[in-house]
Amino acid sequence: MIWLELAIMQRALLGCVLAGFLSGLVGVFVVRMKLSAIGYSMSHGAFAGAALGVAVSANPLVTALLFSSATALFIGPVADKARLHADTVTSIVFPLNMALAFVFLTLSPQIGLTSEVASVLWGSVISMSNSDVVYLTTLCAVTLVLIHFFWKELFAIMFNRKLAEADGIDTKPFVYFIIFVIGVVVTFSLKLVGGLLIFALLFNPASSALQFFHDMKKIVLVSPIIGATTCVAGLMLSLFLDLPIGSCIVLVSTFTFAFAVLLSPKRKREEVIS
Amino acid sequence: MHIESIIRLENVSTTYEGERRPAVKKVNLNLSENELLYVVGPNAAGKTTLLETINGLLPPSKGHVLVFGLDVRRRGKEVRREIGYVPQDFMVDPGEPYTALDIVMMGRYGKIGVLHRPDKKDFEKAMEVMKLLGIDELDDRPIGKLSGGQQQKVMIARALSKDPKILLLDEPFSNLDPDSRERIPELMAQIHEEKGVTTIIVTHDVSRILKQCRRVVVMNDGRIVADESPEEALTTFERPLATHPTEAIP
Repeated sequence: MIWLELAIMQRALLGCVLAGFLSGLVGVFVVRMKLSAIGYSMSHGAFAGAALGVAVSANPLVTALLFSSATALFIGPVADKARLHADTVTSIVFPLNMALAFVFLTLSPQIGLTSEVASVLWGSVISMSNSDVVYLTTLCAVTLVLIHFFWKELFAIMFNRKLAEADGIDTKPFVYFIIFVIGVVVTFSLKLVGGLLIFALLFNPASSALQFFHDMKKIVLVSPIIGATTCVAGLMLSLFLDLPIGSCIVLVSTFTFAFAVLLSPKRKREEVIS
Repeated sequence: MHIESIIRLENVSTTYEGERRPAVKKVNLNLSENELLYVVGPNAAGKTTLLETINGLLPPSKGHVLVFGLDVRRRGKEVRREIGYVPQDFMVDPGEPYTALDIVMMGRYGKIGVLHRPDKKDFEKAMEVMKLLGIDELDDRPIGKLSGGQQQKVMIARALSKDPKILLLDEPFSNLDPDSRERIPELMAQIHEEKGVTTIIVTHDVSRILKQCRRVVVMNDGRIVADESPEEALTTFERPLATHPTEAIP
């Protein structure tokens, strides 16, 4: 484990744990609130933003954050105001973001698949800086605190948004909050997994945890652990096989999901209590 | 402020987004406190739309809906905290990761308010209504693993857990077993009488109207076509609905 003595590897490991934990946590809301299409658009919004950063030699993190925030705003409040269906908006925003990302990458002053361009596409261990780790730690703390405070409302919305409304909960601000958090988490995890694969990090851990428990609280606790574990395992795999880290993380998390489906106790007994 | 009607609909029409024809048309309806009203009518008569217009889940495209004297379009959130709502045929996926108690507790969340956490009193209230409905022993069972009838009781318990001033029940007894189909409606009538809860029950089964009911509204094609006693409603239902008067009797 001599590699662990290298600062770059320590940062990568920390980044994996934090990004995996966060994505796993936020992913539960993505899956339960049926925001998959929105999550997909957000991740590609961040990707397009990062590509713009590379093209204009600006900080990709800042431009990715701007793009994902704009996407969140467009998918959330603007679409609601314009009375556009979420499906319609995401179907337009997703290819738009992809098109912009490839235009920006083509306009990039660097020729070919440079390390910076490659890291935006596939993720890169070496791109993790100290400030990225600080950002991820802060984001982790803020997200946990906010989820703790609004847990009751989020818990009810995750069961059924219309019923939550019927009980007098104003669901819109909470849904917007989750959309915005998805954007921020995706942006800060982009360096690790890359823009094309980040969505799997949101979706797979939560979907795996859902295979095992009938208790939402347990799912919210276990999904971030699965997220962090699969990210670390993906990092190891990428180091040993010398493959892109993003691809390895997605491969591990997909296999984890496949095993979860095979081993799921929920699928074995579906009896109804009479 | 003295409020004559606890629920007041003035010339209300409700149109679903993307549709041109309103599902509820020019409805006028007044309900006083502690009234028990049945809404009957064939499928697609606008019964469910009427309930969701009253609690503000569906904003009316025309007219005004006042509940407790408040306009539900602007003050819907406040109004809904005092309304227990049981939706029609609400069935849950078998893998749903919520227990029966989780669902019943949710009924209290709006009333508890943002940034406040449920306490012992909330938990006791949830258990009390579950016991009343005979489902207290299912509290830790996953909701999706319960039978249709048990799930329906959980939804009724959720509506009751907030100590509502108004109950809106949409075909609430349709999935119950024969024994519960006798017992639960009686229990609802008892709650209505003892606690003075204004209650609206939507049903298509006129023969099962509770004896405590004095007023039945018949709907057809989005309109209130009759507002009468249960006995009259039974006779009305024997005639083809097309022969009913077309305007509401407020």
